[in-house]
Amino acid sequence: MTDIDEAMLIAWVDGELDEVSRRRVDRAIAEDPALAQRLAAHLQLRERLSGHYAPVEAEPVPPGMRALLEECGKIIPIGHSSAPRQRKLWIGGAIAASLVLGLGIGRMSHGPTGPIGLSDGIMMAKGNLASALETQLASAQQDAPIRIGLSFKRRGGGWCRSFEGSIMSGVACRERDGWQVEQLVAAGSRSTEYRQASSTDERVTSTIDALMEGAPADAAQEAAARASGWR
Amino acid sequence: MSFESDLLAILPRLRRFAVSLSRDRADADDLCQAALERALRARDQWQPGTRLDSWMYRIMRNLWIDEGRSRQRALRTFAPEEAGQNVGYAGDHDVEAHMTLSDVDRAMQALPDEQREAIALVLVEGLSYKEAAEILGVPMGTLTSRLVRGRGALIELLGEAA
Repeated sequence: MTDIDEAMLIAWVDGELDEVSRRRVDRAIAEDPALAQRLAAHLQLRERLSGHYAPVEAEPVPPGMRALLEECGKIIPIGHSSAPRQRKLWIGGAIAASLVLGLGIGRMSHGPTGPIGLSDGIMMAKGNLASALETQLASAQQDAPIRIGLSFKRRGGGWCRSFEGSIMSGVACRERDGWQVEQLVAAGSRSTEYRQASSTDERVTSTIDALMEGAPADAAQEAAARASGWR
Repeated sequence: MSFESDLLAILPRLRRFAVSLSRDRADADDLCQAALERALRARDQWQPGTRLDSWMYRIMRNLWIDEGRSRQRALRTFAPEEAGQNVGYAGDHDVEAHMTLSDVDRAMQALPDEQREAIALVLVEGLSYKEAAEILGVPMGTLTSRLVRGRGALIELLGEAA
């Protein structure tokens, strides 16, 4: 038995634990299959809920609501040259979001092809997430369903990378057998164009800060690390 | 960006929040429309520089709570006199609404309001505990215990298929 209670377990799932507590939970999960099973149930629930409601966000805004806002704010005054472009971009964003959905990190932990699997209670990247982490360079990923944020050396050695899909974002570190997912948070609140400027979730940022030694890799260092298999 | 175009930009997320709270899509869009109207009327109360999305989530959540209370009141008021008729009608409507719902919708609706709103903000909208607790006006400990109970219930309701 372990002293990890349900609140701590779900805080882990929600990306709300600090580095020290996260390690404690990780150790407990590795030792306790029942706890690992509960963790898997929570991960699946989280994935199922965010996946279920995600299509609503990708739908076009109902004309009545759009009209209400445009009428009040004169957002798109007739004759304003940049207005049609803005509008088109917005619609494009909604469609892009709905297309990406099926390819993103939406099918986490579902069967053998999902992007995340539990192995001995440890969350490992699989499928498209694993290949993005292993091969994708942050400098060349315009249309990739999963985007790599930063690549960096962690304290104590080894490479870590932050990633972002349509539903989940997080941080993974390279272990001997593959990429171990250190943190996952729902990307739900950031998948519209609105907040792209302030891109990375602050929970992910604080994990990166806690793990990182020195500065993040530049493009050349990232390419060199990939070439040497992230050793 | 103007206040209205900022609202338009977060509208897809607001609709998603409304859907996760409401019992069907029509109610969700009514709630969303009402929240937009209230925001436009109360725009002077929004402080530029603070999070517009948090402000909107709070407005929508308060409207949803108020509406739930008035629906409860209406049910109590009508029940004694026209019990048969009303219950029959409401029942039909419920059955119909239910048939178009998925397992997830049904499970969410089975939750008490205070658990559903906590789950919606954290698991669906992806807010941090701190942001969600502020919107709901409860201490963090209250939020986390609602998340624990709500999740336990959902896992049970959705069973193996979760």
